Amino acid sequence: MILNRRSLMTTALTLGAMKAFPGLSFAQARPLVFATFTGSWEEAHKAVLVPAFRKANADAAMVLDPMLSVDQIAKVNAAKANPPIDVMLHDPGPALVAIGQDLVEPYPVEKSAYYKDLIGEAQEPMGPAPFFQVVGLTYNPEAVKTPPTSWADLWKPEFKGRVGITNLNSTLGTGWLVEIAKMRGGSEANVDPAFKALEELKPNLAAVAANPGALATLFQQGQIDISPGNFNAIQILKARGVPVEFVAPKEGAIAFKTTIHIVKNSPNRELAFKLIEAALTPEVQTALMNPPYLIVPTNSKVTMGGEIARVLAKDTAELKKKFVFQDWKKINEQRSAWIDRFNREIKI
Amino acid sequence: MGAAPASRDVISYGMGLAAPLALFFLLFFVAPLLQLFWLSLHNDTAGLHWGLGQYLHFLTDPFSLSVLGSTLLLGAEVTAVCLVLGFPIAWLYQRVGPKLQTIIILIVLLPLLTSVVVRTFAWIVILGRQGIINATLQSLGIIDTPIKLLYTQFGVVIALAQVQMPLMTLPLITALGRIDPNLDDASCSLGAGSWRTFFKIVLPLSLPGVIAGCTLTYAAAITAFITQSLVGGGQMLFMPMYLYQQASTLQNWPFAAAISIIFLLAVLAVVSVFTTLGRMSRGYGGV
Repeated sequence: MILNRRSLMTTALTLGAMKAFPGLSFAQARPLVFATFTGSWEEAHKAVLVPAFRKANADAAMVLDPMLSVDQIAKVNAAKANPPIDVMLHDPGPALVAIGQDLVEPYPVEKSAYYKDLIGEAQEPMGPAPFFQVVGLTYNPEAVKTPPTSWADLWKPEFKGRVGITNLNSTLGTGWLVEIAKMRGGSEANVDPAFKALEELKPNLAAVAANPGALATLFQQGQIDISPGNFNAIQILKARGVPVEFVAPKEGAIAFKTTIHIVKNSPNRELAFKLIEAALTPEVQTALMNPPYLIVPTNSKVTMGGEIARVLAKDTAELKKKFVFQDWKKINEQRSAWIDRFNREIKI
Repeated sequence: MGAAPASRDVISYGMGLAAPLALFFLLFFVAPLLQLFWLSLHNDTAGLHWGLGQYLHFLTDPFSLSVLGSTLLLGAEVTAVCLVLGFPIAWLYQRVGPKLQTIIILIVLLPLLTSVVVRTFAWIVILGRQGIINATLQSLGIIDTPIKLLYTQFGVVIALAQVQMPLMTLPLITALGRIDPNLDDASCSLGAGSWRTFFKIVLPLSLPGVIAGCTLTYAAAITAFITQSLVGGGQMLFMPMYLYQQASTLQNWPFAAAISIIFLLAVLAVVSVFTTLGRMSRGYGGV
């Protein structure tokens, strides 16, 4: 056996020293790590944001480490003193969790050149929103001849067995439930009306997908014809030739702020700030707004164009009118109870 | 008598060589498992208050228990399907020429060489409303409107059975290969029919393989997060998804930890039933 007392002590001492002086265990010059989201986000950031950041910062080294919000939080939580990530990207729910767990630093607003140009809703002192995600109605134009106009259309008898939704694990699913509650007289604090509405929706439900990505597959397979959907996800499907269209319902499209944060105790604080600044510039946001990315900008200096101007909003004023923002602080308070209820009640 | 010291030597060498792996397991499996257990003994998400609240919550909640039950049942169904479909393939393998054997092995192994995600997506295409099954049935005039296959228990069982099939077939092939073919002939020449030969000779002798295959398939089927969630959908809740929901979406780690421990114990119980059966079958199989 190699494991004698001496080697055990050495190991224990080394581990102890690494714990006491976390700087020891990491090379000081770790490149900037940006945990973006997987999929189209990663592609967009690799193609636009990273080159823009490098150009502005003398080719500073950086890596994209795409992962889900919840995984980002778990990873940073596991090593708070020496986080493996410098910049996090979050949906509104997880953003509040990260802030609540003291994982992010306030954004140095006074130092920022672009923060003040952001649309009011995007100005978040704990981490600004460089992008909006928009949720509206998605439908298959080959099967649905008259485009839907309202969330209430999902309940129409003609869509019997043709409607898809997602469960509440996703921001999309939870946000949609809250919107339905509002439509039926509820609010972020009271989603009872939405659960009643879901009960009535059951005959129409063809699928409850485990995540929004699975909804896309269901459209492709003709399993569903209409569902709530993410504007960007639909654009990707459309580009692949799947017959899908997006409309903003008349109640307003649900807008989620995707916020970007400097991780607390990041060894690359300054570069992290620079990366976020790059994400806020009108140049980067314009490039990301153009095809194939079609990411909704938050900098009011960006002139809306293309598909976004056509189906969402021509300018900031219209955007403010057509987008509905939700109170995620309130939503987070009861979200676990809703998920529990959804688990139990929604069986088709 | 000279054999005794030699065999003791063999054992001690084995232990020494196993030490690196043992250490690896200790560090990266046993230690995290203990940490998980420690976490599950807390009543609040911050992990400050000790208590058995999470376990009580799970074990007194009919819904949680039904999730556990349906997961264990799913495993049983998948294992049964794999056994019934896999046994003939393994049997056939032992009775064909070397060329066909290569082809059979290739077909059995092929699923293992493609990613689970790809295999699962293929099943979405097959089971979908406009998928192969529905399209065929419709064109044959057997059904008017597509039947719902995707997002049903049936769909999950079928998809999982295909995805996990190699885990059943490979041990069966090995076990059947160990049976002396002369025993078949002997049985027949003594007047037993082919079914009787199968049930009295082949099946008992292949039991070790059956049990190994069942254990592997069962464990893989109930923990197959990807296939379960993609083919089963969001409203069919099995333990892996329940766990993921609590840990990731809700950040309720103590409850998620308790779910894991309960799930682990439930699976261990099932597996130990299999191993007990395996031990009992040793008298037959001679392994």
